[in-house]
Amino acid sequence: MSAASVGYAELHCLSNFSFLRGASHPHELVQQAIALGYRALALTDECSMAGVVRAHMAAKERPLKFIVGSEFRLSCGLKFVALAIDRHGYGRLCRLITRARRAAPKGSYTLTRAQLDEACLEQCFVLWVPGAVPAPEELLWLQARYGARLRIAVELLREGEDARRLGVLQALGVAHGVPLLASGDVHMHVRARRPLQDALTAVRLNVPLSEAGTRLYRNGERYLREPQRLARLYPAALRAEAVAVAAACHFSLEELRYEYPHELVPPGRTATEYLRELTEAGAHWRWPGGVPARERAAIEHELELIAELGYEPYFLTVQDIVAYARRRGILCQGRGSAANSRVCYCLGVTSVDPQRGGSLLFERFISRERNEPPDIDIDFEHERREEVFQYVYAKYGRERAAIAATVIMYRARSALRDLGKVFGLSVQESTRLASVMQWWDSGTSLPERVRAAGFDPASPWLPRLLALAQELIAMPGFPRHLSQHVGGFVISEGLLEELVPVENAAMPERTVVQWDKDDLNDLGLLKVDLLALGMLSALRRAFALVNEFRGTHYGLGELPAEDEAVYDMICRADTVGVFQIESRAQMAMLPRLRPRCYYDLVIEVAIVRPGPIQGDMVHPYLRRRSGAEAVAYPSEEVREVLERTLGVPIFQEQVMQIAIAAAGFSPGEADALRRAMGAWKKTGGLDPFRERLLQGMHERGYGAEFAERIYQQMLGFGEFGFPASHAASFALLVYDSAWLKRYEPAAFACALLNSQPMGFYAPAQLVRDAREHGVEVRPADVCVSLWDCTLERCADGAAALRLGLRMVKSLSEAAVQRLQVARAAEPFTSVQDLAQRASLDRGDLEALAAAGALAALSGNRHLAFWEVAGAERPLPLSFGAGRGVQAEEGYPLLRAPSEGEGISADYASLGLTLGRHPLALLRGRLRAGSLQSAAEVRAQGNGARVRTAGLVLMRQRPGTAGGVTFVTLEDESGQINVIVWERTGRAQRAPLLQSRLLEVHGELQQQEGVTHLIAHRLIDRTALLGALTTRSRDFR
Amino acid sequence: MSRASRHRAPPRPSVSPPTAPLAPLALVPPAGVASAARELWAALQLGAGPTAPLEALAEQALSFTPRVSLEPPDALLLEVQGSLKLFGGVEGLRAALQRNFGVAGALALAPTPLAALLLVRGGRHAAVLERARLTGQLASLPLQVLRWPDERLERLKRVGVRTLGALLRLPRGGFAQRFGVAALRELDQVTGRLPTVRHWFQAPLRFRRRRELCCELEDHERLLLALEVPLTELERFLRSRGLGVAQLQCQFLHRQLPPTLCELKLAAPATRAAHLSALLQERLRRVRLPAPVRALELRTSALLRHGPPSASLWQPGEQGGAAVGQETDLIERLRVRLGEDCIHGLRLHDDHRPERAFARTEPPSLTRATPTTRPPPPAARPLWLLPAPQPLALRAGVPQREGPLRLLGTPERIESGWWDGEDVVRDYYTALDVRGARLWVYRERRAPHGWFLQGIFG
Repeated sequence: MSAASVGYAELHCLSNFSFLRGASHPHELVQQAIALGYRALALTDECSMAGVVRAHMAAKERPLKFIVGSEFRLSCGLKFVALAIDRHGYGRLCRLITRARRAAPKGSYTLTRAQLDEACLEQCFVLWVPGAVPAPEELLWLQARYGARLRIAVELLREGEDARRLGVLQALGVAHGVPLLASGDVHMHVRARRPLQDALTAVRLNVPLSEAGTRLYRNGERYLREPQRLARLYPAALRAEAVAVAAACHFSLEELRYEYPHELVPPGRTATEYLRELTEAGAHWRWPGGVPARERAAIEHELELIAELGYEPYFLTVQDIVAYARRRGILCQGRGSAANSRVCYCLGVTSVDPQRGGSLLFERFISRERNEPPDIDIDFEHERREEVFQYVYAKYGRERAAIAATVIMYRARSALRDLGKVFGLSVQESTRLASVMQWWDSGTSLPERVRAAGFDPASPWLPRLLALAQELIAMPGFPRHLSQHVGGFVISEGLLEELVPVENAAMPERTVVQWDKDDLNDLGLLKVDLLALGMLSALRRAFALVNEFRGTHYGLGELPAEDEAVYDMICRADTVGVFQIESRAQMAMLPRLRPRCYYDLVIEVAIVRPGPIQGDMVHPYLRRRSGAEAVAYPSEEVREVLERTLGVPIFQEQVMQIAIAAAGFSPGEADALRRAMGAWKKTGGLDPFRERLLQGMHERGYGAEFAERIYQQMLGFGEFGFPASHAASFALLVYDSAWLKRYEPAAFACALLNSQPMGFYAPAQLVRDAREHGVEVRPADVCVSLWDCTLERCADGAAALRLGLRMVKSLSEAAVQRLQVARAAEPFTSVQDLAQRASLDRGDLEALAAAGALAALSGNRHLAFWEVAGAERPLPLSFGAGRGVQAEEGYPLLRAPSEGEGISADYASLGLTLGRHPLALLRGRLRAGSLQSAAEVRAQGNGARVRTAGLVLMRQRPGTAGGVTFVTLEDESGQINVIVWERTGRAQRAPLLQSRLLEVHGELQQQEGVTHLIAHRLIDRTALLGALTTRSRDFR
Repeated sequence: MSRASRHRAPPRPSVSPPTAPLAPLALVPPAGVASAARELWAALQLGAGPTAPLEALAEQALSFTPRVSLEPPDALLLEVQGSLKLFGGVEGLRAALQRNFGVAGALALAPTPLAALLLVRGGRHAAVLERARLTGQLASLPLQVLRWPDERLERLKRVGVRTLGALLRLPRGGFAQRFGVAALRELDQVTGRLPTVRHWFQAPLRFRRRRELCCELEDHERLLLALEVPLTELERFLRSRGLGVAQLQCQFLHRQLPPTLCELKLAAPATRAAHLSALLQERLRRVRLPAPVRALELRTSALLRHGPPSASLWQPGEQGGAAVGQETDLIERLRVRLGEDCIHGLRLHDDHRPERAFARTEPPSLTRATPTTRPPPPAARPLWLLPAPQPLALRAGVPQREGPLRLLGTPERIESGWWDGEDVVRDYYTALDVRGARLWVYRERRAPHGWFLQGIFG
């Protein structure tokens, strides 16, 4: 029989989802199996289903049968592979994996023979993988259980004695009547991955390669071998048996049908009736004066569509979670296509008034044609999301609810650190090597950086290490382990463990499914994203503060709408602290885009994103908006899609709509395109769409340039697609936070400070900004401050901001609670009194002294520390009797701290000062060095040559900016935005990256009200700061 | 053992008189007891960088005063009041000390040891002779010279105290309450308000014997005989202290030429004179004496704790009892005779590549090679490996060695070692040559696909 006539099916194959074992991606294995003409391929990762969806998607509609399986090694050493025959078998396999994984700590599993028996593995083929010396006892044990579905896997890997091994196994097979089949224990798709496989093995064993010895594989035979080669190694019968077993497995992941939970419907009613009931109630709450006719019609239309597609349980699930949050006073806001429906507005999932948001957004909230699962993400206050998690777990149980996985990929740093270790570098050296991969370094060449880190680029091991690192970090990213998704919950009607394996997460009491959000999406499984958003915490606090102070009843979406003064402030880019539009890039955009209405905010949120920037959509839009360029549409179809955005595609949805309208995509194809856009970096599969898109647009008479631009934008959206449906929800938070900043700056700053850490700015900038807006900020004071920052009423009725003791570094909240109780009983008279009545330990007292919060009791910091040091411990009794030491305390002669010392201490403890800006103290010396202040710089004209210096607040190097680093400097007169071109940054790397006080010589650039300083020369002036501790926030 | 405690431990041995000249006894006050007597302390700070160990410098310092105290890690304190006259006053003494210790040693003098130490740490190379002037001289020193724990210094910094002057101005009671009584005592010792008790340095233990010969000798046997007396004395010295010697130096002094050196390094600390004598005999055979020997000197370095030799319950050969020390004796003898580099051990090394599957080790002396627990590879391995694989000729595609080789069974493929640049990619076969010998051969899987002989099965 020839090789071709029998064919081959590989039934024992590991991908890199058998972490640190397999050296190839699932799609690489599938593609290689197809290229070699295999009949079938089973993916059998060790006790895992994490890679099967990827393999399934790669094999879909290709000439290769894909089989789902898994490899197990029992505690006794018995090793086997199980292959799912049908849906039932798959469910049992998932259950077995779940039980083995749940019984062990994160990332591992344990399975004994007894547990295997309990799990009732049915409808699966079991392939016995014998050890070096085959143990007939294992075969008998398996045979007693799996009988006709048992096979002996013969794996001839040229480890010597192949012929003898084959003979032994054949004899066993004949003796016990168990058929043999050929398999390959595949760990990689091509032989060339051998070094990577060895290196991964060494990482797993945590030993250098030179010491891994015979724990590495003897050779590189564990790859998808050519059929001719296999034909020489294996008797045809064994290969034929593998093909036969593959043919008998007929399970496909396509069969998985997801069912939404049904228990939310009260008995006696249908889901449709109940959803209508809830929606009606909500409509009366939203429109107390009666539902407008247009909205009424829209609601009817939506309910009809939901009923038609059977999505009621989904909406009810989301409604239930949101209703819980509302009951508990947890602020939340939904986003996503379905979230912006009237139904969701009535259910309280979103607060965006459809009339206000512009009806265009709500036209298509679910697509009837595409049968795409509805998409709702819900943001919760970041500090209280855990309560929502616990509610979901309690309601559905751990059998039915789990968090989606996130696959943690190798990044440059982790790859270098792990590889450094297996190449025998010390921990320090590995860390040093990894540190050459700082985010800001992507511009410089690797050998250069390696040299800078003190390694000899000529070392023979270095190119080997770097080549492997390249393989690990090459797209789509080499998986290292599973972690939990930030908030994606999978909730099912039936048992989750029969749908997908569930395993333990790192956090106790958390469980994750083995699939990530793309896998779930690919199979059409429902996921509800329960996310944490700091701004919601801040908004809830701000509303509470304002309502308490003013007696109002504001809530999300209930502030006076479309206020001119708010938009004026936004156009000035006076937006420190405002949601989303506070970032530097957003601030630079505001004076140019000049938002004047809610929809402008929606655009503003979406436009400063890599998608529109890479697709070069920003400048055309701005030109058209300012009237510098005529608004034109290539066709009437495109006009319909792009009219709201002046003919420039900005939102993710628009790109798909264009694909339908202009390139003739079917809705189904557009949906495939949307998924591919999200995953093209992972599978690299956008090229077929490019052909199709360009072709389709060409046929319909669109220019090649327009078509290419649309395609480029798809690539950009791939990573950070921003749909209008999300932007619309975010825009509400933008408006509400901007309104609060404009009209209630004290409450707004107070709420932001109480919600830290969050947002773009540190407390120092928030407080500084509040003071610039006329807010009186009062120091943290042990005699008046609470834990949180609070509002105090000034003589003129205005609100003043009192810093809370939460700002004080290393002070415990419990201590402050005791302090507040003691103070309520009676004001403190001295530090000693404070220490005793609030039972504060020395750490707490020192923290208070360091913050200057004891000033009211003891005077300056030196005196406060002296008192604190003496407040706690009584003098030992034995002391003072002799030796000429007086027992009395004595009053110390302590000098008062200087202003500079005070400011330094403020920064060290509170992260901010209410005194002068540190640079005010240095101004004389800076002036002597001919350096101008930020205000003086800004007063100069475009093109002026200037020299300035400031504290480095932030360094940013966006991936879209082509190696440019943005640096924000601050001095006592304000901030300066510095642009460091890639070449400048590379030449002056040390001052750029290390300075806390940075001197910049450069050229001023002023355009449309935006000022930048183009840096030519950078000088590190950190030494001038002395003991002052400042910290830059560095972003990628 | 830390340096701080080491210098206290051993009593001064009678066998090793200090090399220092005797200090004028009459001027020395009773050691270790604080007294109201006037004291003058010299603090000697040793520079950074490699210097001799503190103990070695302390031995030198003994020539200036018998009252030397170590201040690890980098200073010596000398009480020199009694030596002033001898060296011609403060300046004379200072000059003498600087001559001896060189520029590396900074020097300060003060009435209390701690004050002298603080001054020298602060870089003040002053000579403060009166207590009254002391506080003023100390005032501007930064607190760091105290070498207090960082935490305490930090707390002092927080109350605004940065100098010794500010520190000494704090109220005593308040200070003691906040920073501890011990800290106050320390300050009182600095200012002399409280006396300081210091431990005196004593020269360390070592054995050194010199024997003048009655006549000049050239004959090895007789030299060995002459060594027996000092070796016996050494054994007695070692036994009485529970020590063993790990390195022994034997010098043969000649009339004109520089001495001939003969050094023994031992695999295990040794005590017995007979054992040492036997080793010296072996070593002497390889030493050529350039001239007759007129004196011998025996010196130890590296004395180690050494328990009494415990005899095995069983005699050698009986009940599996091994001869105590037999192996080490053999190895020492072989090393002495053949040279240090000619003897090495062998152990298995975990590597797929046959030529790397074993490694040389130090000969097993005290530490035995731990047997590897890994099972042997399933495939056959020959006992004899060639030092390097030998290329085999190829005729009609068949490897040759005195005729064609016959390959047996399926090959074993070894692909390993890419990480150290010696990647091996080979198919190994067992082969029979025309005479029926079983050989281990391989074929390179890389071009030019050569055949090699690597081993021979027994």
